[in-house]
Amino acid sequence: MLSPAVDNLVTQLTRLPGVGTRTAQRLAFHLLQRSTEEALALATAIEDVKERVRFCRDCGNLTEEERCAICRDERRDHSLICVVEQPADLISLERTHEYRGLYHVLGGALSPLDGVEPEHLRIDELFKRVERNGVQEVVLATNPNMTGEATAAYLADRLRGRARVTRLASGLPVGGDLEYADEVTLGRALTGRRDMEP
Amino acid sequence: MVIPDHADPAGRLIVSRVSLRDFRSYARLDLALRPGIVLVVGPNGAGKTNLLESLHVGTQGFSPRTRVESQLVRFGTEGCRIALHGRRASGVPVDVEVVLRRGEGRRSRLNGAPLQAVEELRRELATLVFTPDRLAVVKGGPLVRRAYFDRTLARLFPARAELSPGYGAALTQRNAALRRVSLGLSTREALAPWTERVVDLGRELVLARRDAVELLSPVFGERASQLGLAAARLAYDGSPPTEEALAARLERDLERGTTGLGPHLDDVSVTAGTRELRLFGSQGEQRLAVLSLLLAEAGLIAERTGEPPLLLLDDVLSELDPDRRRSLAERLRGTGQTLITATSASALPVEADQVLDVTPGLVQERA
Repeated sequence: MLSPAVDNLVTQLTRLPGVGTRTAQRLAFHLLQRSTEEALALATAIEDVKERVRFCRDCGNLTEEERCAICRDERRDHSLICVVEQPADLISLERTHEYRGLYHVLGGALSPLDGVEPEHLRIDELFKRVERNGVQEVVLATNPNMTGEATAAYLADRLRGRARVTRLASGLPVGGDLEYADEVTLGRALTGRRDMEP
Repeated sequence: MVIPDHADPAGRLIVSRVSLRDFRSYARLDLALRPGIVLVVGPNGAGKTNLLESLHVGTQGFSPRTRVESQLVRFGTEGCRIALHGRRASGVPVDVEVVLRRGEGRRSRLNGAPLQAVEELRRELATLVFTPDRLAVVKGGPLVRRAYFDRTLARLFPARAELSPGYGAALTQRNAALRRVSLGLSTREALAPWTERVVDLGRELVLARRDAVELLSPVFGERASQLGLAAARLAYDGSPPTEEALAARLERDLERGTTGLGPHLDDVSVTAGTRELRLFGSQGEQRLAVLSLLLAEAGLIAERTGEPPLLLLDDVLSELDPDRRRSLAERLRGTGQTLITATSASALPVEADQVLDVTPGLVQERA
């Protein structure tokens, strides 16, 4: 209907997660109305990212060097590894400024339904790191959903005896009201209740 | 638990106003409802079931009759709207609005505030429905019964509502893993975490079902006997799946590509005396059993939440004899609000709190 070039742009945009045809069209028209310079800045940014950014040799995080800034930081605790599914999870954990260990990004979670097997994730690399670097503790921070839990169980089975294995706790969001918590979260929080410190 | 004195332990939601626009056969309807028994009378095809359905959509967000939302919208129009106004016994008013537009899905508001998902209504308002096709719960295969009792357990124990879908998801993954192992695409090691999930969630699901059936069975028996079905009970004999049991049949499971053991294969038996009603119950007995299940659940929900659910009983009177109709009506009297359909007002042997006459597109209160 439109020009083939616009059609192509819309198709490419539709491939992005969370973008439907309508949104893709809106974005395409928006880009068309911008100055050439502005629109090309986006294209250059995409090109740059694809050329410069790669995965850290050790942890699988995104980096422009061979190893990411976290792995290179000698002040961090190199005997502690936190396992996450995606780089975005790592960013969330970093925002806490509480965690001083290293990370390991798996690149997803096990899911036979989608054909994701252990060899498709950076699991072997994790075992090698634990073996090689005298890691004391592995924190499993995969998502608390079906695939994340199964991935954690798979890793825990294989890491047992090699390092201390811990899992992030589930429970209530801080600063929220009980009133707004869903029953499943509240149920889990009840099961995992703790003694009050004196 | 301390109940503040302004709270009424027998608190209940009474729908006092229904307003429909372009819903099924109703172009426009504004109707006042009374608490207690509301008898909805009219000839076949007049729109009695549509009226009950609108109350289900208005309180639960979905129709018990169809998954195709566009069927709810009156022919030739773009969308429909259902608005309910009611009051809890504590005096707190409740306003619900559900709007369906062709091709745009559902939107809903509770007391003016938009809900993210219509499903949230279910947490706020309880509604139980009887339709003639519910007979399948007693008469049909184990699949129907499992689904029914899992929904009941979700209503009785909201914190455990995710167990059944969660177990189903784990099972689907394990079955996929089994097939991938036998095709050489995966390893037995990679199967292990899914077996673990199936065992964990399976155990919790079995225990939750046991709790639910244990809670329901005596109340069910009591309601059934009041309706004239003696010695009725429920039994669930599922046992938790274990890693050992699954390991013992692993070769067979690999061959078939499916998990041959666990709560997804269990059944709940509904018996009267020594007779399994699924096989040996008459049509009337099966109907009484389904009705007693509904009443038992309504009673338990009322006891546990302090709010008896809204009951929608469609075409329940036609196959009951006068004595049983009377006992049913007496049972319903003490509870919150029940809408019950019939082709003539004389079908109910006791006086209803309100009689509504339905003619196509129109509902009028009988003086």
